[in-house]
Formats: sequence, structure tokens, C-alpha cells
Amino acid sequence: MIVNLRSRRTFLKAGFLSSAVFLMDGCSLFGITTPIDTISVMHKDLFPEARHLGITTNSYMYIVFSHPRISEKDKTFLKNGVKWLNEEALKMYKRTYTKLSSPQRQKVLEYVTQIEWGDSFVYDVMNYMFEAMLGDPVYGGNNHEAGWKWLNFQGGQPRPKKAFL
Amino acid sequence: MYDVCIIGSGAGGSPIAYELANAGFNVVVLEKGENYTESDFNKDEIGVTRRDMFTPPLNEQKHIINEYKADGTFTRYDGEKSGWNFWNGSLVGGSSNLMSGYFHRLKPNDFKLKSVYGEIKGANVVDWPISYEDLEPYYDKVEKVVGVSGKIVKHKQQEPRSSADFPYPELQTNGATKWFDVACKELNYEFIPTPRAILSQNGLGRNGCYYSNFCGSYGCASGAKGSGRAALLQKCNAKIITDAFVYKLESNDKKVTRAYYYTSHGIRHSVQAKIFVLSAQAIESSRLLLNSKNKYFPNGLANSSGELGKNLIFSAGGTGSGRFVFEKLTQKQQEELMQVGVFFNRSLQEWYDYKDKGKKYKGGTVDFLFEHQNLISRVMREVYDENGNLLWGDALKDKLHKRLTTSRMLTFEVFNDWLPTDKCFVGVDEKVKDKYGVPVGVINLYGHPHDLEVGEYLAKKSVKVLEKLGCEEISYDISAAPPPNLVAGGCRFGTDATKSVLDKNCKAHDLDNLYVSDASFMPTGGSVPYTWTIYANSFRIADVIKAQLV
Repeated sequence: MIVNLRSRRTFLKAGFLSSAVFLMDGCSLFGITTPIDTISVMHKDLFPEARHLGITTNSYMYIVFSHPRISEKDKTFLKNGVKWLNEEALKMYKRTYTKLSSPQRQKVLEYVTQIEWGDSFVYDVMNYMFEAMLGDPVYGGNNHEAGWKWLNFQGGQPRPKKAFL
Repeated sequence: MYDVCIIGSGAGGSPIAYELANAGFNVVVLEKGENYTESDFNKDEIGVTRRDMFTPPLNEQKHIINEYKADGTFTRYDGEKSGWNFWNGSLVGGSSNLMSGYFHRLKPNDFKLKSVYGEIKGANVVDWPISYEDLEPYYDKVEKVVGVSGKIVKHKQQEPRSSADFPYPELQTNGATKWFDVACKELNYEFIPTPRAILSQNGLGRNGCYYSNFCGSYGCASGAKGSGRAALLQKCNAKIITDAFVYKLESNDKKVTRAYYYTSHGIRHSVQAKIFVLSAQAIESSRLLLNSKNKYFPNGLANSSGELGKNLIFSAGGTGSGRFVFEKLTQKQQEELMQVGVFFNRSLQEWYDYKDKGKKYKGGTVDFLFEHQNLISRVMREVYDENGNLLWGDALKDKLHKRLTTSRMLTFEVFNDWLPTDKCFVGVDEKVKDKYGVPVGVINLYGHPHDLEVGEYLAKKSVKVLEKLGCEEISYDISAAPPPNLVAGGCRFGTDATKSVLDKNCKAHDLDNLYVSDASFMPTGGSVPYTWTIYANSFRIADVIKAQLV
């Protein structure tokens, strides 16, 4: 992980990303996933070009979940979105999102983005994914400005010397 | 004891600090935010515009917002829960650090709106107690001391000036600007180069603009932008105390005696001075006075008139846009279009005053500029298809690449008067407290229908330029949504102490030593961004205070 976590408190908050989400169907346990696993796979599904450009976006989510300027409401929505997405995956294919084939995952995305929460959730995931891909490289994504170069973007000067965490 | 204590260090406070400190008076400035210098500013899109590094977190400091309908009912929003953010910049120099610096003066008729255009039903329009001629020398002073660049061209709305031209030449413009000029000539529109509070060359001990590509919303790393900090506070020895949130002014029946402030850790301090100047930006200045009620002023300090907080105004209008696409341009034009860093810098004031269907209207200003360079924001505007479905994968990749590398959006911003009304005012909520334990400000919002009518007229005229330029996807949006960075009123000035909070010199009618020098004084706002007028009026007040202290 490339992020410098600033305190035990933020570490614990960020720890939620890798803690288990229990997925229930009525009263039976159907599966277990972690937010970081699900969001990492979503990033690949939503914008595979990032990987082709050599950009890793998933570790930026540790910054998002520990950032004091991102509200608890927004973080909770992301966590809930992971749970709901997986519940839809279970309903459709009896497996968690990360264990589905690529075409199956696309079907899940197509389905949930037609629902209000799903549209908002996928939009939010993309929002932070593009922050990682197209924000200043100081945040750990946008490897060697590959995202900027892809869009012929020159950035602004001076660049930040450190991330605003 | 200080001679002068200034609360808030932005465009309203910094000219007074500059003038009085340089005249040898003992001046202290209390600023809630931190101090930054040119070397601290950078172009971090995430930190500056997405994590709002220069404004307070809404879970610590927020507003309550009541949005009124014409029938008097309203919807209440909690700023934290809704994310509705009215903070503009808590740092030394205030939001003048983050402005784009579009500098237009008010025009003579803006000082006598009621006399010239008549009453408008449901609006509290009044004439100002001063005239354009009273303020003109100070507009001129701002040009020279803060630094304004531009070029005076003859046009029918040009206001009288004591200097022939601006002291600094125009900033460099994008190649597409000349297409705009041709289009305007064909439409018989009089365009003007937009004056900017940005030095186009080194001067005043500051560096000229280096065309960073990121101006508005960002701090300036060269000092070219005429923020109150770069232009004034760094040029005087006024004492600046940061991390000082003033929550109460103490008074007797005639004078303010002490300003109390908290640090971010809740430590309480106070300052005594002969004269107090309040310049915390319109909403917060009214809030502080309302929160400073005492036995002499039970309805809020300086509020014997009952007018404190009333007639809050914003800038009415909205925005529009059109897209230049490579398919319609030669290769040379494509290259010109994609030049970044340099400015577009064109404005139309053709309809600052107009007649429609035989009726005389006060109109406004339209500034043209390219879509902001913020990349993540531009990308996120493209993630839906025309049917409102989210895109991803190859479809999104192809769209993004094409849109961002072979087209560019030209936008316009309409500024017209936000008419003052009874339903637009500042209050405080005694039950909702900020992190300091102080009642938060309540922003009551209402946009008069007349504002929309004028905005529509201006937008429709502006769209014709985009059409003439061959832009695609032309659209505009005129609404009653208040721009949080263009706020004024709440302590209107006037000659009648029963109908205004401040006298014509912006001294409280009720108190001998309290001045309000941000945009709170404005009874009507004119149809331009406020900063130049705030600066000019603050220099005017500085002269009054100087005379009082001598």
C-alpha cells in the first residue's frame, strides 16, 4: 500500500475496506466479500484502459476511506453499495461479484445502473477511480502522468509536493 | 489597545489594513483561516476543488438554508446533510485568493436603480446614498494599487473614468478569441476585453502572470492575481492573527469595546481597539452582529433599525455553453483552439441597460471564458450518454478521448441584479451550533422572477455569438440558484437610520466605532462580480477612518 496512514484512527477507518461484508439472503449466509476486493474488480470492469496505461487505481480507495474531508455519509453509501451490488450478483448468478465471469459482471452492472442506488453507486465509484487516474500523481495513481498524457492534458504549475490528506 | 481591529482579511478588510498600517496606525487583523504565501499554492485539483482545502469542513461549520417559494413557504436544508456549501475561502486574503479576477466597475445607474428604472413589485430597490462619482477615484486607485490589466475600448456602456486606460496591458489571449471578435462584429455586438485583477507583467513588487492554466478557484503562485493578501496585506505591517474565529463583539450603548475570538482548539482570546471593522463576507458579518446581541442591542448589534441581515443579495443570471469541434475547424484553428494557459477574456455589456417591448430594463454583463481546465470534473461530465445512461468500458474510453482531445467548450456567465426582497435574508439558528458552540447562520433564499426574465434576455443574446461561431451543443441555464461566491447585502447603507444599518460611510448608525467594509453594505448589487467594488469602497472607508483617528 502506497498511502501513508496518518493515525491509528484513520488506519481503523481504512481497515473497513478490507474487512468482511457478510451477504445474506433472508436468513442464510450466501457469501463474504470485502469492499476493496469488489471495488478493485469494478475498476477493471468500468475502465480497463487504466491498466493498459499502467495506472493502478484501487489503492487510492484507502485515501478515500480515511479522508476527513469525505463525509461519513458518502463513505457509508460506498460500503452499502458494495453490499447491494453483491446481493444483486447473488440473486442473478448465485455468486459474489468478484467470482463472476466478466460477461456476468457486465450484466450485473447493466442491471444495477438502471436502479437509482446503483446508478449513484457506480457513478461514485467512477468518480474516485478517475480521481486516482487523473489527479496529480502525488496521490499514487496516474503513474508517470499516463492519464494526463492519454488526454493530452498538461496539468497546472506548480504541482503539489504532497497529497492533501 | 490597537487603533483598528479588522475582522476578516479579504477584499473588504485588506484595503483598510493596508491604508491605515501604512499611515502609521496600529492595526490588527483577525482571520479565521491560515496564512499562505505564493510558495504554498499549487494546482492540485483533488485538494483544492474536490476536498475543499480552503474552506471549513461542513461537519464542523455549516449553514442552515431555507429556500423560499413565491407563496412564502420554504424548504429547509441542513448544509452538512445536503452538502450545500456557502463558504468561499478561509485564509489570509479570503476568497480574493481564489477569485478569477473578472473586474468590472459598477456603472452610474447602478447607484440609482430606483430613480432610473422605477419600483419593481416585491423588491426592495433603493438608491445608494453615494454616487458613482464618489466611488470613481477609488476604482481608479484599485487599478493602480491592486493592479488591473485590460484595454479600454469605446462602447456605449463605458462608464466615466479618470484614467485613460488600465495601468497594465491586456493578458495574452487564446487564438479562438479573434474568432469571437469577428462573430461579434458580424452580429453588431460591441465586445470588450475583460479587465482582470491579474498583472500581465511584473509590477507592484509582484510577478506577472505565468499562465498556469488554473486560475479561478486556485491560489496564485506568482502573486499576479490581485488578492488582498498578495496586493495589500503583504505590503503593510498590520499584525495578522490567524486561527482567530471572532464569535462576539462586546459593546456599550455607543461603542464596540472588544472582539472575542476562539482558536480552532477552543481557546478564547479578546482584542481591544479604538475602531472595529467587520469584513467577514456578507453572510458571516450579519451572523456575527446577530450573535452579538446584548442589553443595549437586544435584536443584534447595530440593529436598532431591524434591518440587520435583511436584503441579502447574490448575483442573478446563470451560465451557457457551446462546443467547438475539430470537424469544423482547419488544422491551424484546431491548434489555436487547444492553446491552454492563455485566457479567452471577452465580455459583452451591450445590454447593461436595454429596452424590451417598450420597457426600460436594467440588464447586465456577460463574460465569455473557456470551460475550466479541471480534468476530473470535465471527465465526470461525460460519463452519461444522451439518454442519461451511465457509460463505462470502451464506450466511455472512446467518448472521453474524442471529447477531451478534439473539442473544447466555450462558456459564458451572465451577471444581472439579484433584486433584494423580504424573503432573502440572514438569520441565526439558536439550536444549531458550529464546532465552536456558536449559533450558525441561516441563509434565507429567494430569487425574484424579474431576475430570471432579465437573465433569459441576456442569455438568448449571448447564445447568438455561440451560434455564429459554429459551436455545437449550445445550451444555457438561467436559474434562481445563488452563486455562493457572489454574495452581498445584509447591512445595507443609507441616510435613514430607521431603514438601514450603516451610514453612507459604512459606519453603523448605532455605534461610533463600528464599520462594515465587505459587500454587506450594498443595497443593490449591480450586474458585475463584486470584488472590485468591495475593494474600492473599502479604500473609501479607509479614508474616513483615517480622518476619524487623526
